[in-house]
Amino acid sequence: MKWASGMAILALVLLVAAGTWSLFPRPDVPPWEEETAAWGAKNAVAAIVLGARLWDTLFEVLVYAMAMVGVRLALRPLRRTEPQAPLPETPLLRRAADVLLGPIVVFAIYLAASGHLGPGGGFPAGALLGSGLLLLALAKGADRLGGELHEPILERGEYGAIVALLAAGLGVLFLGWVGGGLFVGLNLLIALEVAIGAWVVLHHFASSRGEV
Amino acid sequence: MDGMAASALAIALVGLGFWTLLRRRNVIWKLLGLNVAAGGAILFLVAIAHRPQARPPILGLGPGQSADPLPHALVLTAIVIHFATLALSLVYVIFLTERRHSQDVHKLEEER
Repeated sequence: MKWASGMAILALVLLVAAGTWSLFPRPDVPPWEEETAAWGAKNAVAAIVLGARLWDTLFEVLVYAMAMVGVRLALRPLRRTEPQAPLPETPLLRRAADVLLGPIVVFAIYLAASGHLGPGGGFPAGALLGSGLLLLALAKGADRLGGELHEPILERGEYGAIVALLAAGLGVLFLGWVGGGLFVGLNLLIALEVAIGAWVVLHHFASSRGEV
Repeated sequence: MDGMAASALAIALVGLGFWTLLRRRNVIWKLLGLNVAAGGAILFLVAIAHRPQARPPILGLGPGQSADPLPHALVLTAIVIHFATLALSLVYVIFLTERRHSQDVHKLEEER
């Protein structure tokens, strides 16, 4: 019985490999240039994510936000109440956070705002902003940073971003909004949403168990 | 890396992840196995999008064949949803550890 799972895995791998064999060589990519230009973008991935598959992306952001709500609600009973001794902070980390935080934020906003013209987009920009917050939390301590970033404002920003995204989706559906400006707005909202979600995960994990 | 070699590596990664998922008894190890399998799925999508000597699917980067943009869009979805569900399942592992003081599935499944 011990090797049954191994045999099952091996059979699965061989089956998938046999199915994949016929995928190669890959056929030519269908022409996407005119379609991408019609959406008002240069990056074909952005035209797919925010144009042709817009509702898929919006509900993906909704799934992400629901997962963050789950993290927030489930960890609330486990929140530590007694204050934690702050980590001994090194001046090196403090200075590095001071120097790097500005460029990180600027680069994240640039990635979100130019995501339809080149590599980038809302999701990588949000991940970048979230890692900037992680750097700040490492330098200052997660509890102190959590006290400075007011949680009700962040929650309002998160839910407001979702409402604005769904409103933009309705605008695309009923009013026929299209173009590069719409993509910039959607990317900025997605970046805000992803960054706040990453901060929620970071802050709740750090303040419930263990340290950053 | 060639597309075929990358997809073979991806299938091997998925097999390794499923092996860890089935054989390990610790819940966190199971989640790590799922993580590795998700990495294999993402690598598989990127390998499907690969074309020999292709340029990125962005307008104005010169002539020639471009990579397939559709699997790249799917990868974006896969990464974000994977991150969110992994965070949520880790929260429930924290919950289980707090309530039952164990991460071993055999002990967790015992009736108390």
